[in-house]
Amino acid sequence: MQRISVGIVLLFWCCFASAQGNQKPVTCGSCHKSQALTQPGTQMGRAMQLPGDNPELSAHPKLTFRSGLYLYTVETHNGQSTYSVSDGTRTISVPIQWSMGAQAQTWILFHEGRMYESTVSYYPNLNGLFTTVGYEHAAPKTLEEALGRPLSDEDVRTCFGCHTTNAIIDHKLNLSTMTPGLSCEHCHVGSVAHLKNAIKGDSTTGIASLSDLSTEGISNFCGQCHRTWELVTRSDWRGTMNVRFQPYRLANSKCYDGTDPRISCIACHDPHRKVVNDVAYYDDKCLACHSTALQANAKVCPVSKSNCTSCHMPKVPFPGGNFIFTDHQIRIVKPNEPYPN
Amino acid sequence: MRTGLNIAVRYTRRVLPWLLVSLACATAPAQDHPDQLQNLSVNASAAREQGDLPRAIELYQQALQLNPKWAEGWWYIGSMQYGANNYGPATVALTHYIELTPTAGPAFALRGLSEFEEARYTEALQDLQRAISLGAANQPRNAGIIFYHEAILLTRQGDFEQALGKYTQIVSHGGINQDVLTGIGLAGLRMPMLPSEVEPSQLDMVSAVGQAASLFMGKDLPAADQAFQGLFQRYPTVANLHYLYGYLLFSTDSEKAIDQFNKELAVSPDSAVTHSMIAWAYGSRRDYQASLADAQQAVKENPNLLIAQLVLGRALVETGSFTNGVQHLLAVVATDPQNLDAHLALVKAYSELGQKEDARRERLLCLEITGREAKSNATN
Repeated sequence: MQRISVGIVLLFWCCFASAQGNQKPVTCGSCHKSQALTQPGTQMGRAMQLPGDNPELSAHPKLTFRSGLYLYTVETHNGQSTYSVSDGTRTISVPIQWSMGAQAQTWILFHEGRMYESTVSYYPNLNGLFTTVGYEHAAPKTLEEALGRPLSDEDVRTCFGCHTTNAIIDHKLNLSTMTPGLSCEHCHVGSVAHLKNAIKGDSTTGIASLSDLSTEGISNFCGQCHRTWELVTRSDWRGTMNVRFQPYRLANSKCYDGTDPRISCIACHDPHRKVVNDVAYYDDKCLACHSTALQANAKVCPVSKSNCTSCHMPKVPFPGGNFIFTDHQIRIVKPNEPYPN
Repeated sequence: MRTGLNIAVRYTRRVLPWLLVSLACATAPAQDHPDQLQNLSVNASAAREQGDLPRAIELYQQALQLNPKWAEGWWYIGSMQYGANNYGPATVALTHYIELTPTAGPAFALRGLSEFEEARYTEALQDLQRAISLGAANQPRNAGIIFYHEAILLTRQGDFEQALGKYTQIVSHGGINQDVLTGIGLAGLRMPMLPSEVEPSQLDMVSAVGQAASLFMGKDLPAADQAFQGLFQRYPTVANLHYLYGYLLFSTDSEKAIDQFNKELAVSPDSAVTHSMIAWAYGSRRDYQASLADAQQAVKENPNLLIAQLVLGRALVETGSFTNGVQHLLAVVATDPQNLDAHLALVKAYSELGQKEDARRERLLCLEITGREAKSNATN
């Protein structure tokens, strides 16, 4: 309730300030221009897409996929998408309201009073549908089971907690306060109050600064969605399926130091900007340690001083082959060595 | 009232054939005196099959004097002595068998049951747990007796939560009977004793508590709730009743669990385990500020309680008091070196403190523990 009321106050102050000055509404972007300009276009900014704002589905008006007895169809007309599953005699069709993911997409469906995670997902590299990760061995016995996996309250909190902003209030889903994707206040707790005060002219009340967190703290912060080292270990998620859990992989690197900012997530990635895919971009980050001039005890690569990640952070196909991830367990990769867990 | 002995005798009749089947591939007797040994073995088997156990035991003993390394002979003596309620000789014979066949799960199980009857409870628990790790409880009919005895021994030594976990397994396999209900009641009420030691005046209450908890374990939640509400009315001042319901609720509804824990504190304000569980519940929601106060109270009430040290260590680490947190977590691993929760918290603490090598050592240990647990779960 506290966060809802803060939101109402924010709205009031935005309108008030706008009316007073007859200017554009004051937003985070009014001061933090560069972040506000690029962040909404990032994968995190587009972590959830709503009907009418889903370029991938709009570009694929009809997608089909057969899995055993069941035929899946995703059809999009005028921005509205429908997910259907049929066993040849019966069909369940539900509107797609919540698309999780900016490129690859899994859908949260609402059917007969409860939420389901779709059994099939859209994969850009396939340009089509395929089984959702984790469902590879599922053998649904009924059409209802074929629709998707019923979500527990905890699942709902996890899905909406990571793909939206302000959807989870007091541990419960609240769609009325939800903003799709990750916006400022998802990560910067206190930004609403900060904005409110800034509108009043008080810019001294800052938000909790994430840059004050240690490298370990940042890993755990990002790991709330990208999975922490602890969660992956506790769950015993072994094998190449854990390559997508970057905080886990990074912490397993020999060079990982929870207090050294040069190995922090944000040393390499600016969450306000799209992920950089040019391997050369990351050379400076590696050489911040692996250079004799800077740190005597860090090894210096005898092979090259450029494109470090192309060898030391290999690309690993995710089981099923629909994704390829950069392995964040930084290491000297030896030929034919098994994937280190 | 059923005694532990009665229970064991009744179970023995059911379980012994299965344990024997498990050892069908025992070794042959032929060694230095092949003919004599062969004759003794044949005659012993014949006597055993005819039900002449004293004669069979005597013949097996003669054979073993000729060849003490004949494992099968020890096994038959051990199982027959057990069947005849001669638990001391059974234990001795099974010990010989285990020396020759150290991975024979059923032999550990039977020796554990013998030791239980001899009131050698520590050894009995160790053997039963070893038997489980070797797969002796994989057959449902063996699982009932092994898990039941493990659970009552865990309860006796005060490991109530572990015991409740075992009872959940028993209930999920449909193994509910009056003895099991009494056992569940004892574990739930945190009474460190065997079912045979319950005062007659308390037996009805203990059994009713076991009944309510077994409904929950069997996933009949509305019936369980009704049963617990009835118990709260009948026994408003009995300690640990609200705690038990909260503990059972915890994995599915932490909100209701916290409510029950708070009601328990109204009955038992100095319950360290209840304060610990409240701290744990808040911690599982990542509300470590809320967790800290109850964790501190828990340690104040009982500094020797492992879970109290654990929740305080974790809460301190999560609220930035890394060095203090480490002290409490080290106290946990000193007693329980394989405690995953403590090691996971130590990873975070050492990492935040910049103790890179300590953090790495703890990480590797955590991965080893979870890997081993997964392997064990896959085996069982």
